[in-house]
Order: sequence, then structure tokens, then C-alpha cells
Amino acid sequence: MTPNEPLLRWEWILDHADEIWQRLLEHVTLTVLAVGIGFALSFVAVVLIRRYHYLREPLTWLTGVLYTIPSLALFAVLVPVTGLTRVTAEIGLVSYTLLILIRSILDGLLSVPAEVRETAIGMGCTSGQLLWRVEIPLAVPVVIGGLRVATVTTIGLVTVTALIGQGGFGYFILLGMQRFFSTALIVGATLSILLAILADGLLVLAQHWTTPWTWERRRQA
Amino acid sequence: MNPSSSLPSLSSDVSLESSPPQGRGAAVEFRHVTVCYGSDRGGVTAAVNDLSLRVSPGEICVLVGPSGCGKTSTLRLVNRLLTPASGQVLIDNQDVASLDPVPLRRRIGYVIQQIGLFPHQTIAENVGTVPRLLKWPADRIRRRVDELLALIGLDPARVRDRYPAQLSGGERQRVGVARALAAEPPLLLMDEPFAAVDPIVRERLQDEFLRLQRALGPTVLFVTHDVDEAIKLATHVAVMRQGGRLAQYSPPAELLASPADEYVARFVGADRTLKRLTLITLGDLAWGPAPGDDGTQAAPMPAVSSAANARDALAAVLASPTREAMVVDGRGRCVGVVTLNMIAALLAAPAEAPQPPSGDPDGRGRLVRGGGAGAEGICDSE
Repeated sequence: MTPNEPLLRWEWILDHADEIWQRLLEHVTLTVLAVGIGFALSFVAVVLIRRYHYLREPLTWLTGVLYTIPSLALFAVLVPVTGLTRVTAEIGLVSYTLLILIRSILDGLLSVPAEVRETAIGMGCTSGQLLWRVEIPLAVPVVIGGLRVATVTTIGLVTVTALIGQGGFGYFILLGMQRFFSTALIVGATLSILLAILADGLLVLAQHWTTPWTWERRRQA
Repeated sequence: MNPSSSLPSLSSDVSLESSPPQGRGAAVEFRHVTVCYGSDRGGVTAAVNDLSLRVSPGEICVLVGPSGCGKTSTLRLVNRLLTPASGQVLIDNQDVASLDPVPLRRRIGYVIQQIGLFPHQTIAENVGTVPRLLKWPADRIRRRVDELLALIGLDPARVRDRYPAQLSGGERQRVGVARALAAEPPLLLMDEPFAAVDPIVRERLQDEFLRLQRALGPTVLFVTHDVDEAIKLATHVAVMRQGGRLAQYSPPAELLASPADEYVARFVGADRTLKRLTLITLGDLAWGPAPGDDGTQAAPMPAVSSAANARDALAAVLASPTREAMVVDGRGRCVGVVTLNMIAALLAAPAEAPQPPSGDPDGRGRLVRGGGAGAEGICDSE
């Protein structure tokens, strides 16, 4: 850091409002894509696991291994193949959501009480009706719990993809580190954290709206 | 005419089927049914062993026995949640193995101890589950749900849009029964439905259930481990023993009067004589004339309601110095006197005596009411 450089230059922030907005959109896009694709893959994996139980162990193992790969190492391996692209970033980001999401969807479905499943089948629900009308709605609280962890983790991880030319707010962090420019560093880090808090809050609200039975009980007459 | 010549036997079958004694109950029959469970050592143990049983339309068959006697397994055979290793289960003479389980289950009401209401659905949605699966029009489902909620004694306007967690245990249990009855099933399977509620609520639920069953007329297979509940509800009791074998299958009065063997006798309890008295409603007895006809007011005696059973009357009589109790009607008027000797005479009667003719849907060990009627309204109880 240069001696006369202030910690935070407000005029820089104002000058770069447009770029901050662009980076926000990029950050949100990368996150939504990663969690969305990760959720879709996880859902398919869970449906497969329910049909072919022997898949559970290998799939859990595989997602566990993916989760342990350092993101830098993963990008280093992928860049020669897929280049400095959004695809490279998403492959990494999606991989890291799978462990959390598969786990939470499985746990959510397991959290459905046995007697509820028993009566649903006993009353003549087909296996599809059991899944869509009973098990999935009841799994929502646990699944959203998993989505919160995955989303917050992904928002943090997106900053790392700045190293391969993506990155959203990570771009400012990288800029700040390369040029010893604290304003960009602080702006990037702070906005990334705020975005994570905001996303988490939105998911809490989503859970509230989609699961009225979990809180309506307090409104006894 | 030529085409009709082959029809007579078929059409007579149909007319028999379409008018069972109770209206809409299904007949259930078990034919030499055995259910096996694999064990760790590779062998098999029988959960149900060569069970043969017939339940007539509109009857309440109560399966009773200690845990592990196969009574729940027996129930789950009927809606194909369980498949027998051998033997057949027939509903209205159709082998359930030949039927698609999904439509079969939609025609059979199912209630279990933990109720299994869907916590994420409102009471109305829960009760309308099977009608919705059957694709009834929405307004018909709505009308049916309100009708059922009223029938089980819940205010539709109050509970319709609530979630199960907002109701009391007894209310949830009622909703479970309403849900099972929603699509007017000819057959109802109930697995210890009242075991989880406290005794006072349980007794009320049992009374309500008997009233509902009489009004709607489905055949019921009911599982319990409580002999008193079995005796109270059943038209026929099936006592089962360990290893899934049927120990005795008889109407409650007969079960209590003449247990088939030592096991059944022990299972129904040493107080089975007293339990027999619970089957007899005082209102159905030939009680003595009310006192005071000749103007002499007898010594004060305890009063029992004519709706009470003979066991309650016995308790009252024993507490009375004269060994007599006054029978009072619903409005508190004395309608007669019951004595210790009269109650003793009930027990001396042969077991077959209380059995109603087969056409009597009530089949619960009534004695023919006689006398007493002329004594009504002669004296006041208070």
C-alpha cells in the first residue's frame, strides 16, 4: 500500500458504480447457475439413489472427493481443457454444491415420518404421488436448509473464479491484491459478504412461505 | 328371448351382491393364509399361520392378541401392504392378489395408531385425500369434507383450514377416521386407532366410532391389544396367539362365556364374568316393577341409568344395603328396580341365549326387553 493511500476512497466507489453493478449481476448469475444446476443434478441423483440403492455409497464418495479438491487446483486442471470461461467456473462451483445438496435432499426425504408414508401408500397413492404430494413438500425445510449452506458457500467461492477471468466481486478483490489498492479489496469482500447474507435471508423467507404448516401452529385459536 | 337364457344365474348373483344385510359393507374372507418373515439364520418364521376367517358385510371383526401375534400383519394383507406366502384373501369373493393394489386401496379405509395425517396439508385437504385421488369434482369433495367433519363432531368452519398440528390428539384421531371414510369405502381397516389417546377420550371415540359404523355400515377389521376394547366394539372377536394362529373366533358374549382353551381364558382375563355384564345394556333387561306402587316408599336406593350396562348396575346393587338399585330413564324418572338376583340370573343364562338372530346388525348380546314398561313415570328419582 502506498503511504498516502486512504483505506477507502469513496470517489472511486462512486466512479465505478456501473462496474460494481455489472460485477453484482455476474456474481449473482454465477451463483444462481451453480446452485440451480447443482440442485437439478442432485435431485436426479437422489431419484436414482432411491431406485437403485447401491448407488448411494459411490455417489456420496464421489461428491465427497469433489468437495475436497482445492478450487485452485481444480481450475488449473480445467483451464487447459475448457479455457478461461464461465464453463470452467461453473464446473468447479457446481461440483462443490453436490455434496451438500444430495445430502440434504436425501435427509429431507428421510425426515418424512414413517406413518405418513404408510398411510399415503395405504390410501392408494402411487409412488409418484407419494413423492410429489407427500415426501417432497415435507422435505422442503431440510432441503432449504441445504440450499442455504450451498448458496452461501458458492457466493464465497465465486470470488475465487476471478483468477480465471470470472469472479463477480472477486474481480475487485483480485484487483486490490494485485495493485495494493485497499478500496477495491474492501468493496469486493464487503459486497460479497452482504450478498451472502441477503441470499440467506431470502431463502429463509422462501422457507417460511412454502411451509406454513411449520409455523401456523403458533396461531392456535 | 335367446340372449337372456344364459343370464339367470348371473343376475341372481348380482342381486345378492347388491343388497348385503347392512347396505354397503364388503365381505372379507381369509383362506388358509400364511405370512412368513425371513430370519437372520436364513429360516422363516410365520407371522400369520394358516389363518381362515370370514367377516360378513357390515360386521366389526376385532383382531386381538399380544404383540407379535400377527394381527397387524393380518390387517395389512387386506390392502396388499403385505403379500401372503400362501393362501388367499378375498373381498366380496375376489382374490385381492388379482386386483391392482392402487385402486383396491382407494376403496378401503385405513387408520393406524399414529394416524399419519399429512402435516403439510390442511384438515380439509387431509380428509379429501382419497376423493382427490379418485378425481372427484372439487365442489363434491368440499361438500363431502364438511359433511364428514360435522359427522365426527368437529365444526367444519373452525377446523377446515387448520393444520393437523393445531388440533388436539383426540381431534386428530377423529380426522384420521373421517379421512378413512371420505370416499365411502365398503371396508375399513383400523390398526389400534385409539391406543394413543387417554382413556376418557378413547371411550368417547369408541362410542362415536360405533355410531358412525352403524350409520354408514362399512365392514370393519379392527386391531387392538385391549380385550375390553375388543369386547365393546366387536360383532366377532378373533383372538390370536403367538406365531400368528387363531385361537378363537366368536361373538364377544360367547368368547367370555366359553373360552375355547386355557390361553383364551387367560387372555380375556379372570374377570371375564364381569366383562360379560358390560355387553348387556340395562335398558334391554326385564327389570322389576318400580317401588312405591302401593304407596310405601322403599328405603333410598342408588340410581342407575337405563343406558348403563349390567356391570355398572351390579356395582350400584352391591353398594346398596337392600341389594337393589333404581333404574332411571334419560329424564331421571324411575322406571324400575334391578336386583342382585336378576344380575346373577343373567350370568346363569347359556352363552347362546344373548346371541341375536343373524339379521340383527347389532349382534352385541342383548336380552329381550320385557316388563317394566308399565312402571314408567310412576315415581321420581329425586
